[in-house]
Amino acid sequence: MAIIVNLDVMMAVRKISSGDLAQKIGISQANLSILKTGKAKAIRFSTLNAICNALQCQPGDILEYRPDDEE
Amino acid sequence: MWDSRKSILLSKVCTAIFLLAVLFIFITAPWLMDWWIHHSLSVLPQHKAHFLVTIYSGGVLALVLLIRLYQLLDNIGKEKVFIAKNISLMRQISWFCYCGSIISLISCFYYQPWFFVSVAAAFVGLIVRVIKNIMQQAIVIKEENEFTI
Repeated sequence: MAIIVNLDVMMAVRKISSGDLAQKIGISQANLSILKTGKAKAIRFSTLNAICNALQCQPGDILEYRPDDEE
Repeated sequence: MWDSRKSILLSKVCTAIFLLAVLFIFITAPWLMDWWIHHSLSVLPQHKAHFLVTIYSGGVLALVLLIRLYQLLDNIGKEKVFIAKNISLMRQISWFCYCGSIISLISCFYYQPWFFVSVAAAFVGLIVRVIKNIMQQAIVIKEENEFTI
């Protein structure tokens, strides 16, 4: 998967913990961990909206496209 | 009130009844064959051994198939429906049906009506296989949904 999730970077910039962020955006810590570790297969716009609202950032700040070597 | 739990229980009971029936036939096959040869117009006494080979070989497959079916129902009862283990069980069930079909087909050499058993077994194997394919796709969709945040 060429989409990289830089959520932990943004969380460090805003100095917010996983527990606080998960509570703010209304998802479980387990799901937040899935997102942070790149195991997620898809993200809902509503979740992305909540993350950007909580971290006061743009989607591009937390999502990055990095082509695979094969591509 | 009828619900899915009772439905699964009924399926398990029916599977268990079939299991007991197969075991009964295993134990009483020689006597059942003697009775059938005596009353049948088409079965020849010299084919008794052939019938027993067909019944016992097919019976072993039926026994294992019914055990796999029971395990599948058990998993569904525990709400473990879309799991890889169930796909494996369904694959085995379909292959046991196909093997039973082959045994019946070979048995046509001494008793033609086995052909109908062969066709029926192959058909059931095909249906189980298609349902297995559907469940495989369902697992993919479920995993996709589970990892959609």
